[in-house]
Amino acid sequence: MVAADFIEQLLNGLTLGMVYVLLAAGLSVIFGVMDVINFSHGELFALGAYFSLSIIAPFGAGTGFWIAIVVAPVAVGLIGAAIERTTVRPLYGRDPLYHILLTFGLVLVINDGIRLIWGTQQRQLAVPEYLSRPVSILGVQVSVYNYFMIVFAALLAVVTWYLLNRTKYGMIIRAGSQDREMVRNVGIDIDQYYTLVFGVGAALAAVAGIVLGGYQNVNTGMGNSVIIPAFVVVVLGGLGSFRGAVFGGLLVGVVQTLMRAYNGSVVATVGDVTLSVPNLEGLTVYLLMIAVLLVKPQGLFGTRGEESESEGEILVGGYGGVLADSTRVRLGGIAVVALALAPLAILFMGDQYYLVVLNEILIWAIFALSLDIVMGYAGLVPLGHTMFYGVGAYTAALVMLHYSQSVFVVLLGAILICAVLAWIVGSLSIRVSGVYFAMITLAFAELLYSAVFKFDFTGGSDGLLGFEAFLGFGTIGASLSNIEFGLLGYELGQQFVFYYLALLIAVLSLLFARRMMNAPFGSVLQSIRESEERAEFIGYDVNRYKRRAFVISGGMAGLAGGLLAVSPSTVIISPDQTLNWIHSGEVIVIALFGGMGTLYGPMIGSGVFFGAEEFLSSYTDQWRLIIGTMFILFVLFVPRGIVSIPSLVAQRLETANNADGPVDMDEPEVRSDD
Amino acid sequence: MSSEGTSPDSSVGIDRSRRQFIAAAGAAGALGLAGCQGGSTGGEEAVTVASLNPMTGPFSSLGPGQRTGAELAVAEINDTDDYDFEFELVTGDTETEAGAAQSEAQRVVQEEGAEFVFGAISSSVALGLNDFAGQSEHIYFPGGAAVPITGSACNEWVFRFETNTAQIAEAISAYSVNNLGNNVWFHYADYAYGDSVYNRTSRRMENASDDYTEVGTSTSELGASNYGSFITQISNSDADVVVLGMTGGDLVNFTNQAADQGLTDQMAVVGPTQTFQSVRAGTGSNSVGTFGGARYDPSLETGDNQAFVEAYASENDREPGNFARVGYDSMRLMAKGMNEAGSTEPGDVRDALEGGTFTTVLGDITLRESDHQATNPTWMAELVAGDGDTADVELLEQVPGSETLPPASDLGCEM
Amino acid sequence: MTETVLETDGLTKRFGKLTAVDDVSLSVADGEFRSVIGPNGAGKTTTFNLITGALSPSAGVVRFKGEDITDVAPHERVGRGLGRSFQITNVFGGLTVRENVRLAAQSVHSDDINPGEALFRDKNGFDEIAEQTGTVLEQIGLQDRADEHAEALAYGDQRRLELGLVLATDPDLVMLDEPTAGMSSEETQATMNLIDEVLSDRSLMLIEHDIDLVMRVSDRITVLTRGEELASGTPDEIANNEDVRDAYLGGVRE
Repeated sequence: MVAADFIEQLLNGLTLGMVYVLLAAGLSVIFGVMDVINFSHGELFALGAYFSLSIIAPFGAGTGFWIAIVVAPVAVGLIGAAIERTTVRPLYGRDPLYHILLTFGLVLVINDGIRLIWGTQQRQLAVPEYLSRPVSILGVQVSVYNYFMIVFAALLAVVTWYLLNRTKYGMIIRAGSQDREMVRNVGIDIDQYYTLVFGVGAALAAVAGIVLGGYQNVNTGMGNSVIIPAFVVVVLGGLGSFRGAVFGGLLVGVVQTLMRAYNGSVVATVGDVTLSVPNLEGLTVYLLMIAVLLVKPQGLFGTRGEESESEGEILVGGYGGVLADSTRVRLGGIAVVALALAPLAILFMGDQYYLVVLNEILIWAIFALSLDIVMGYAGLVPLGHTMFYGVGAYTAALVMLHYSQSVFVVLLGAILICAVLAWIVGSLSIRVSGVYFAMITLAFAELLYSAVFKFDFTGGSDGLLGFEAFLGFGTIGASLSNIEFGLLGYELGQQFVFYYLALLIAVLSLLFARRMMNAPFGSVLQSIRESEERAEFIGYDVNRYKRRAFVISGGMAGLAGGLLAVSPSTVIISPDQTLNWIHSGEVIVIALFGGMGTLYGPMIGSGVFFGAEEFLSSYTDQWRLIIGTMFILFVLFVPRGIVSIPSLVAQRLETANNADGPVDMDEPEVRSDD
Repeated sequence: MSSEGTSPDSSVGIDRSRRQFIAAAGAAGALGLAGCQGGSTGGEEAVTVASLNPMTGPFSSLGPGQRTGAELAVAEINDTDDYDFEFELVTGDTETEAGAAQSEAQRVVQEEGAEFVFGAISSSVALGLNDFAGQSEHIYFPGGAAVPITGSACNEWVFRFETNTAQIAEAISAYSVNNLGNNVWFHYADYAYGDSVYNRTSRRMENASDDYTEVGTSTSELGASNYGSFITQISNSDADVVVLGMTGGDLVNFTNQAADQGLTDQMAVVGPTQTFQSVRAGTGSNSVGTFGGARYDPSLETGDNQAFVEAYASENDREPGNFARVGYDSMRLMAKGMNEAGSTEPGDVRDALEGGTFTTVLGDITLRESDHQATNPTWMAELVAGDGDTADVELLEQVPGSETLPPASDLGCEM
Repeated sequence: MTETVLETDGLTKRFGKLTAVDDVSLSVADGEFRSVIGPNGAGKTTTFNLITGALSPSAGVVRFKGEDITDVAPHERVGRGLGRSFQITNVFGGLTVRENVRLAAQSVHSDDINPGEALFRDKNGFDEIAEQTGTVLEQIGLQDRADEHAEALAYGDQRRLELGLVLATDPDLVMLDEPTAGMSSEETQATMNLIDEVLSDRSLMLIEHDIDLVMRVSDRITVLTRGEELASGTPDEIANNEDVRDAYLGGVRE
């Protein structure tokens, strides 16, 4: 009985694990061979399920399912190949960072496309009757479909393994995932294989989408729900390793399932002490991933050395630019004055809502600035940066609820707690570099995200409510909601006070960061970005500098989160609003979009991003599609971000004027300005 | 006047300054309109009402139902002569995330000037909008079912036509334990809604039968996708009944996997929201044989339901579900409250709605004075094979509204 | 006798089954110009990396100025006076030439900068660092191009800057990894002159392919093959060493 029970659980775990294997195989090989961190893999997975819906509808489940499982992956594979040709290809040789921006854009476009075509209703993917019934073998009872999923996915995995290991194409791809340069050096044009790899990876994801869709249901959020576990699998197994993907997939599937089945159950009783499995569902895989990366940074089956990793070019926005420094400072001054006067314009328009939007922009401007310190200067790409934003917001809300309502105390608390958190996370994760650093910070962020659901003091899924900030210390000052004063007959309220507070903090943060980058500490950070190895060998303790930058950045992101909680527009701090990984993605996208490595670029990025969102969403429901397309076009044509537009324009003009002296448009001398 | 929260005088302050902005907004458009504030004097006064629904995110399969119900109500209100005002509907997407919901709420209230807001499904979003309504003093009709919305987090500006979890728990508890079996397993998603289903139902079952035994419990995370391990565990227990404290995609996944693994044939699977259209659409024939509480069914002959079903079907080519009727009657209740008050001023409407009895698609219901929760009847239902791909709902027993709702003090509301 | 600046004792590095460096025991005297030669795969660069700390040895000890530095982090070895250049040009391409040199100079003075200054004081406001930067720029002859981005320099100038970075850290022993790789013969000559000019007062350890060059400039030469030390001695001794001729010189020079 107990044994049968365990075997059933194991089968359940394997079922889920096989889906992860199919997903991760493509993701891993795509990363291994072309260094692409493909966030859109989850949407291609969903696309497979949706295509199947449309294919099954006219044929019925009996035959339709089998047609779909062949045709839909081919269709998705073709789409994948087309994506590679048109958007991914131009980015080879650049840092994997740009693929985050690109594939993030693709996620928005594909997901919105799905919603447009198939609607938001969740659907059932019909599977043949004989597959969806229970079957009992030796007392072990699971669905036939479980066996089908395991066998079918295993078959595909074996075929993939065969193709990779026993064919010429496969050998080259495998070699390429271990050492691209070597393959190039022996005279093979590895780039030719990329389209194939991307297409096959997409097709495998589509198969996973179909089999999982048949097991569960088909909905617009399905891609988003698998992409993070899939990354965990890939990183656990080792980037680029097919064997690792298989092992990691099964491991994560089984561990997730068993933790679920046996959480809280008693393992043993020793004297008065009862040992039970702690309730760690959801946390386990991330703990596992952190542990593996700390012990074996390249994953369980990783073969790639540190050397060959992420050597692509990072294009920072700041290279002087066509505008003189003094002009730029003057423009910055004008921008601040304009922002300081904006509330008056809003006042005369009588629409206080724009102030809410401006407040959000300022908060995110500080958040994006904090990211730029580590990403644009120290060359670290944290995929879990929202942990500081979220923890800052939670800390601020908790301080207001339990200790002090003073804005200054609250914000200081948020900064300090986040700085400490950053020191701990940084100490553990800065040892690993590149993509592994991105992933380990993601794991920490997901760990915290799962954790806030579990505790009473964080309010679980509802979050925290009922806090209010107070502008002042002790008893001296005024509650934000109490503040009002008159100007020209208009009453000014809390939104205005908060706006000026946020504006002041944003300007001070920028000045602080600028000062820091022009001081000895910041100059070392820039040298690390340029060449970590060289910085080490002129005598700098690179890890220590990175860790300090991470602490400063974490504290500043905590400040942004604290401001979110203090804002009068915020009545609730909830997990999804602050700690969902999507915000980590968004802030990277905003920083790149604005122009990283310039400090002010990411802040401008915040303004343009939220402004565009606000503007577009009031005209069309498909605003995500438009913003996604905008990201894709930017990463292709304006890789240094918005701040580089003036110099791009100047360059075009120059080219137009110098008919006899053409300027190469691709040369890296594109400069930036604000 | 206002007696909410920690700083009574502050809310007056906000109110005044906010009105100033609305007045200014009006003045920018047409001078003199500001003077009209508060009067429902003649003609066709336009009242801005808002519907904020999750159109993206995990609840995006439910949001559109709310939205279409609300739209139908607005169209009808504007077509008849029963009301001497017109509704102007503005909409927003709450994305099932409190941050997005907050900023959408601020947009419709501050930019569009809506003082009557309906919407939200998830408890976190609804609680956020609750709080916002309390602060800015506008009427809010939440769409969420979690008890705290009109329980511990209730406030004078919030009225709920949606049937809450406590009411549904009443409906399924007694019937299940008396008719389906005494040995009950609870499986629920580990968040506010799931917890409240478990707490309510287990307590009610205990009261309903002396033979009731809780065989075991298990919990999964919100948004979990694989329930095979739980189903195995439950199937290997002595349970006659399994109560599911989950909804939306979670419930769909569980039900599909339960049917595949044979759990549905083995014991009674009972889910408070099992009868939801979206759940039935996602589970197909897999939900046949399961039981659920019903907050609503289009076949009901209560109130003016049949007229609603007909109108809805002719607009949308399908019958309305629970979320559509909540949207529909939430909007109508706002309008009826305005008629009753003879005013479109939120404060007046609030006073008229409080404790008032109105005809709805569920018959005559009262918005209880003590917590503003509607005294809806509920039903126990079984899902049976339907004509098409989805299962049909067969109502087994009605629990009258007066019996479903525990006293407000039990639910934690102090207004 | 002159003091020993660098000493290795039984230095060994294994990668899996392959032993890249096998029990190498070297001793470099203060002020000496030592060259290390050997065919490809002889373990030159690995030895180099073990001494600078880029790799840690499987066995053996590295002593610098009498202290055991086997477990000392690379950046700290630099701080103690062990500088290195790179075979593939490794300068901060996106920064100006001056900033490149200034960073190296700042590293030497970082103990004098308190945390507040490190965060907030203008990096160009430290007189000693600025002075040293200026001196080094002059020494490497790039003072006229100090405000250009390093990546905009010609290859030869980048190699000069590479040396400038080493020089600015004020090392006692300079480890040079093929500083003339990829240069024309004029450039090579110019670079060797530069080395002679600016680094002659320091101990030097050079890895080089160009045998003629090595024979000309070195005080002593160490020959490595297959990870082992084949011979050490003055250029004359090495030129006349039978083993070296058999194993290496003959083979490479045909």
